[in-house]
Amino acid sequence: MPDVVLSIDGLTKRYGSLTAVDGLTLEVSRGEILGFLGPNGAGKTTSINMMCGLLKPDEGSVTLEGRAVSAGDADVRTRVGVCPQEVVLWPTLTCIEQLRFIGEMYGLQGGEARRRGERLLDDLDLSEKRDELARALSGGMQRRLNLALALVHDPEIVVLDEPEAGLDPQSRVRVRHYIRSMARKRTVIVTTHNMDEADRVADRVAIIDQGRLLVLNTPEALKASVGEGDVVELTLADAAEAERAKAAVAAVGGLTNVATADDTVKVSAKGAVHVLPAIMDALAGEGLACRDLRLRENTLEDVFIHLTGRRLRE
Amino acid sequence: MRLMRVFAKTLREQRRDLLALGATVAFAPVFVLLYWLFLTSGSTTYSVLVLDQDTPAVLADGSTLDAGSQLTMALREVKYPNGGPLLKVETIGDRAEAEARLRDREAALLLVIPSDFSRAVAGQGDTSGPAPVAFVGDLANPTYSVTSAVVSEVLRGYVGAATGAESAVQAVEQPLAGSSGRTEFENYVPGLLVFAVIMLVFLAAMAIAREVETGTLRRLQITRMNSFDFLGGVSAAIVVVGVIAVILTFAAAVALGFHSQGPLWVAVVVGVVTALGVIGTGLMVACFSRNVTQAYLIGSFPMGFFMFFSGAVFPMPKVKLFELAGHTVGVYDILPPTHAVVALNKVLTLGAGLSDVTYELVALLLLSVLYLAAGVWLFGRMQLRAR
Repeated sequence: MPDVVLSIDGLTKRYGSLTAVDGLTLEVSRGEILGFLGPNGAGKTTSINMMCGLLKPDEGSVTLEGRAVSAGDADVRTRVGVCPQEVVLWPTLTCIEQLRFIGEMYGLQGGEARRRGERLLDDLDLSEKRDELARALSGGMQRRLNLALALVHDPEIVVLDEPEAGLDPQSRVRVRHYIRSMARKRTVIVTTHNMDEADRVADRVAIIDQGRLLVLNTPEALKASVGEGDVVELTLADAAEAERAKAAVAAVGGLTNVATADDTVKVSAKGAVHVLPAIMDALAGEGLACRDLRLRENTLEDVFIHLTGRRLRE
Repeated sequence: MRLMRVFAKTLREQRRDLLALGATVAFAPVFVLLYWLFLTSGSTTYSVLVLDQDTPAVLADGSTLDAGSQLTMALREVKYPNGGPLLKVETIGDRAEAEARLRDREAALLLVIPSDFSRAVAGQGDTSGPAPVAFVGDLANPTYSVTSAVVSEVLRGYVGAATGAESAVQAVEQPLAGSSGRTEFENYVPGLLVFAVIMLVFLAAMAIAREVETGTLRRLQITRMNSFDFLGGVSAAIVVVGVIAVILTFAAAVALGFHSQGPLWVAVVVGVVTALGVIGTGLMVACFSRNVTQAYLIGSFPMGFFMFFSGAVFPMPKVKLFELAGHTVGVYDILPPTHAVVALNKVLTLGAGLSDVTYELVALLLLSVLYLAAGVWLFGRMQLRAR
């Protein structure tokens, strides 16, 4: 029986006629990293704002070990640390001043807040910038400081909203490594529209679209659910022929799944390289031409396409 | 204490935003300097043109009386108590040119002395009536009224002295305590001090709107900080800036010749209490501002109201609402700076002490607390509550 730390039950938020989050229900276990994967506008940020008490749900509830998370209950609210998607810093405070200030706002004593701040700066390679004003930092450094501000009070649950957005490759690797290092000590919820980020970082992935939870499982299980083995991507010369191409390819034996997305036919099969000639023959037999062909392993994007018929970045 | 942490952080941010801080604390002192420069003798010198058409009269003893020239001389000799000229008198020969200068407001009044003025003063005039001395001016020009009153008084005095005619009544000036000998520059200082405090509406609104704009307010909302910690800390820091602005304005005024008739500490108390009301207004402005630019634009409205309707810039007629404990309560009395202007004028110009401005201080305190409470309540509802 997993040790459930956060329970979300029927969470719903509406803005006029738009339902941003529609009956979201899930449980998060202590020490796990949960990836919230979905395209922009799927409702990820709205969901986490409700999880930390910044937004009031229209329906449903969020409970942290049985206690409702609400704006009025500081004891519960401060057990969650939130790193927003945008860089949210005080431009005219130094790195250590910001960390100390936010730590004190969370109820830490000045000395303790400073010590934790120093340690976080060290962990995130910002020690040399300790006394620099935030506005003087590079974009990548500002993002790392943004993350540090969510952690200074040592929260049990850390919610990271698109933590890799806008990061240079070097900072991305550093942040990814740091998120992994937090696992087991804290529960981490990471929202992202980057399938690679979710795949590499998360223990379980919740895929949401248009405010609804589509599926929740480990990355491996999700990828396996849309077909084992490799994926052949056939980009057609004429997008209008996608359905005819799908029918032609589906007739080939030994395939586990055939799907279309725009001008592309995706074929899942074990040992796909061996069935590739038969696939190409089937297309040629229908007079269909490809302008690109790729062979790769299954990804979470395939899962999303399988569930929605759309790409994640659309 | 979290309020103190917010206070220290806000002060630190203000110190590092030198442009906004400098503009706020230097605004009123710069105005003091400008007023001093404009009023070189300490008070306004009113410009009078004299068109002297008078022909000197030959008296019975064979001497001549040039009353036109004597009147012009008398006008030149009118001084403020500090010795500065009250009138700048210039003789002119062409009426059309004089009227053109009146229209351009280069002069406040044209005095036309008629050709038979000397004969009239000498008692040699005809019997058709008194010699017509004309006052020509733009009656819409605010300086005309003052100038015409002064010139009229000089004319009346000169004619009385020259003819030996005794007036049936005598006007005796009895200045209110402390107001005697005050220069016009000194009279402006109380309003300018309030001006220094009024400027805080921008600083308060912008300091908070910046937190909204950068998203740091949302970040703080999920901490243990409450609206009292945040708004109390920010307000306290802005009050400190306000006190600095008031002290700098005082210092500039004193350095340029201002003398306070009453205790300065009472004036500082008035300034601090006014600052609370102004900051409360700043909080209300911040409620409707999503960024600093909006705070600046929206803040211009209460700033304008405070400046023009409180009497800080020029006196406003009292529009009576009701009487309260022997005091007339007017429409503009709902603005805290109105009471500040009256209180500072009493203290600085009339030499009043704390007990003399009790009514104004109580009204100011009540209004300031009301404004501050309204600002805190509104801000809590509109910006700090989960939506």
